Amino acid sequence: MMLANYIGAVALVVIGFYAMVMKRDIIKIVVGMGLVDYGLNLMIVSVGFNEGGTAPIYTFGELTSGMYFVDPIPQALTLTSIVIGACVTAMALALCVRLYKEYGTLDAHEIRRLHG
Amino acid sequence: MTYDVYMHFPVLAIMALFVGAFLVTLSGKREVLRNIIAGAAVLIALTLLALLIKPVMVDGEIITYWMGNWEPVNGYAIGIALEVDALSLFFGLLVAIAVACSCFYSFQYIRQDDARGGYFTLYLMLAGGVMGIVLSGDLFNIYVMLEVMTFAAVGLTAFRTWNPNAREAAFKYLVVGSIGSSCVLLGTALVYAQCHTLNLAQISALIPGRMNPTMVLAFALLFTGFGCKSFMFPFHPIAADAHGAAPSSVSVLISGVFTKTGVYGIIRVSYFLFRSMGLTSMQTGLVFIGCVSMFVCVTMALNQHDFKRLLAFHSISQIGYILTSLGLCTALGIAGGLYHAINHTLFKGLLFLTAGAVLYATGTTYLEKLGGLARKMPQTAALFLIGAFSISGIPPFNGFYSKWMIYQATFEKASETGSIGYALVTVVCVVTSVLTLASFIKVGQSVFFGQMPLEYENVKETPLSMRIPMWIMAALCVFTGVAPNIMINYVIGPATGAVLNFPGYIDAAMGEGYAAATITDTGYLAEPRLLTIGAWNPVNWLLLFVVVLAAVFLVSILGKRDRGEVNCAPDSKHAVFFGGEESQYSHVASGDLFWGFKHNLRGYLGFMSKAHSGVTNDYVLWGVTALAVIILYCFAFM
Repeated sequence: MMLANYIGAVALVVIGFYAMVMKRDIIKIVVGMGLVDYGLNLMIVSVGFNEGGTAPIYTFGELTSGMYFVDPIPQALTLTSIVIGACVTAMALALCVRLYKEYGTLDAHEIRRLHG
Repeated sequence: MTYDVYMHFPVLAIMALFVGAFLVTLSGKREVLRNIIAGAAVLIALTLLALLIKPVMVDGEIITYWMGNWEPVNGYAIGIALEVDALSLFFGLLVAIAVACSCFYSFQYIRQDDARGGYFTLYLMLAGGVMGIVLSGDLFNIYVMLEVMTFAAVGLTAFRTWNPNAREAAFKYLVVGSIGSSCVLLGTALVYAQCHTLNLAQISALIPGRMNPTMVLAFALLFTGFGCKSFMFPFHPIAADAHGAAPSSVSVLISGVFTKTGVYGIIRVSYFLFRSMGLTSMQTGLVFIGCVSMFVCVTMALNQHDFKRLLAFHSISQIGYILTSLGLCTALGIAGGLYHAINHTLFKGLLFLTAGAVLYATGTTYLEKLGGLARKMPQTAALFLIGAFSISGIPPFNGFYSKWMIYQATFEKASETGSIGYALVTVVCVVTSVLTLASFIKVGQSVFFGQMPLEYENVKETPLSMRIPMWIMAALCVFTGVAPNIMINYVIGPATGAVLNFPGYIDAAMGEGYAAATITDTGYLAEPRLLTIGAWNPVNWLLLFVVVLAAVFLVSILGKRDRGEVNCAPDSKHAVFFGGEESQYSHVASGDLFWGFKHNLRGYLGFMSKAHSGVTNDYVLWGVTALAVIILYCFAFM
C-alpha cells in the first residue's frame, strides 16, 4: 500500500519539474512548484505511516510500551511544509500579478530583461 | 557546567532579531523609533555572539540548548536543539558583523525608497533566519529557517518599486530557489525515514552504520539543496539577477551571508552527517564544482556593464574558491576555505556598499555612464580600492592571505596525491585571481577615474552615516589581512578543529560516551595540522610587490623610444592621440578596456552570454539537470 504512495509522490514531483521546465506560462510554472511541494508532502506523511497504527493522541498516563500508532513527527513536519508551500505559492502569484502589469505578458520567454 | 549563563545566548541572539522584526512593524511611520529598534536588535545579537567567543573559541566548549528543556530520553533526541560549536559560532559571528554594518548603512540609504516600513521587518527576518540556520542543531529546523530566509530575501529583492527589473529577478529567484528548498526537504524526510531522528548529532552518530541507497539519495539531495543556496555553478544566474535588483544593503546580505548558509550546510552535511568527504570521488566532485563556478563566473563578470551585476558574478566566483578549498579535505584546505569565507563577507560587503554609495549619489550603476567620480567622492573611491585590492588578493589586504592558503592547499594536495588534476586546480585559481583583478581595474577606471561626464558636476560625497559602516568593513579587511596569526589562532583554528571534531559534537548533545558507543571508525580524518600555516608574511610580500612595481616602471620609462605604433580604427572616440573636439570629453569606458582580450575570446564569451538567456525555464532546467547529475554521481561513486 505504501508503494502506491511513494510512486504517487515521485510522479507528482516529476510532473511538477516537467511543468517548471517546459511550460512558458509563468502561472503554470507556479502550478509546477505547487505540484513538487504536494509530492513532497505525500512522501513525508507516508514515511511515518505504520500499517494498522492508530492516531498518536495519548496522555502520559495511558502510554505503555506495547502501543502501536503512526509516527507523529512526520505529520507535524507535513503541516509545517504545507504552510510554507502555501506561502510560496501566494508570494509567487503576487509576483506574477506584478509581472503581468509591468511586462503585459505571462510568457517566460519575454520576461527576460536580465540576461547575459 | 560552569557556563550555565552562556547556554541561553544563542537562542536569545536569534530571538532578538525576530522580536526586533515584529516590533519594527509596530513602530509604523515613526522613523527614529524604527531605526533604534532595528539597530538595537542587530547590536544585541552581535554582542551575545561576541560574548560566546571566550567559552566556545578559546575554551573549546560546545553549547547545547534544548528548546523547552526536552532533553534526550533513552538515547533518542526528540526535542529541538540549538548546538553551537566553533564552526557554528564562526558563521554566526560572520553573519552578525555583516548584518550590523549593513543595517546602520541602510538607515540613510533607503531614504530614497517608498514602503520603508516593511524593509526592516524583512531585513531582520532574513538576518534571524540565517542566524537560526547556523546555530541550529536540528535538520528540520534548518529547513524552516532556510524558507524564512529565502522568503525574506525574495521580498527584499522585489522591494525597490522604482527598479524595473526587481520583480523579474525576484520571481526567478523564488522559482529556482524552490528547487533547492524542495531538495533539502526531501533529503530531510529520507534521513528521518532511516534514522528516526532529526537531531544533527544523533543522525551523525547513526548514519555510518546505515549507508544504503536511500541515504545516498538523501545525501545527494541535501548537497544539491545547500549548493543551490550557496549559488554554486548551475544555480549562479539567479544570484546575479537578485544581487543586481536588490538594494545594495540587501545585496551585502544575499552575497555575504545568504551564500554562507549554503557553504555551512555543505560542510555540515558532507563533513559531519555523512562524512563522505573522505572519499576521493566526493573530493573530486566538490573541487570540480568549485573550479567551474570560479572560472565561469569570473569570465561572465568580464562581460558585464552593470556595477552590481558584475560584483554579483565575482561573488559566486569567490564562493567557488571556498568550495574548491573545502573539497580538498585537508586541514589546510578547510582552514583556507573558512578564512576565505570570512574575507569574502568583508570585502564583498564593502564593495556592494560602495556600489550602493555610487547609486545613492548618481542614481545609476551602469558602468558606461559613470566616470571620474574619485574627484567628487574621494572616500568612496578609497574604500572601493581597498575592497578591490582585497578581492584581487593584493598584499597586505585579506584576500591575499586566504588565497595563498588555497593555492598552497591545492598544491600540497597535488604533491600528496601525485595527480596532475590538482595542479591544474592551482592554475585555475591563479588565473581566476588575475581575471578578477582585470575586471576590477575595469570598474575602477570606468567609475572612479578617467573623464567625468558633465552631468555629475554636482555629485556629493555620501553622508557620514553611510561612510562609517564602510570604513568599519574596510578596517576589518585590513585587520584580517595584516594580523593573520591572530585570526588563525582564535577564529580559524578552532573552527577548523570543529569541522573535524564530530565525536565531540555528538557527545555534547547526546551525553558523554554516545559517540564512542556508536561509531567505530573515527579515523577518517587526520588530526588538524595547522602548524604549516603562517610561513609567509604579507608585509614582506608587499615590499616585494613595491620592488617589482618599481622595476616595471623603470623598464617602461627606459623603453619609451622603442614603443610600437598604435593602430586604431578611424573612430573619433578612439582617436584621442590626435586631438580634436570629440576627444576632449571622451572617456575610456568599461567596454573599451580589455577589448582586444575580449575580442580574442569572443567565441566563448558570446556563447556564455547567450547561454544565460534570462528565461526562467532554462535556469530551472540547469538546476534540475544538476540535481540529476549529482544524484547519478553519488550513486556511481559512493
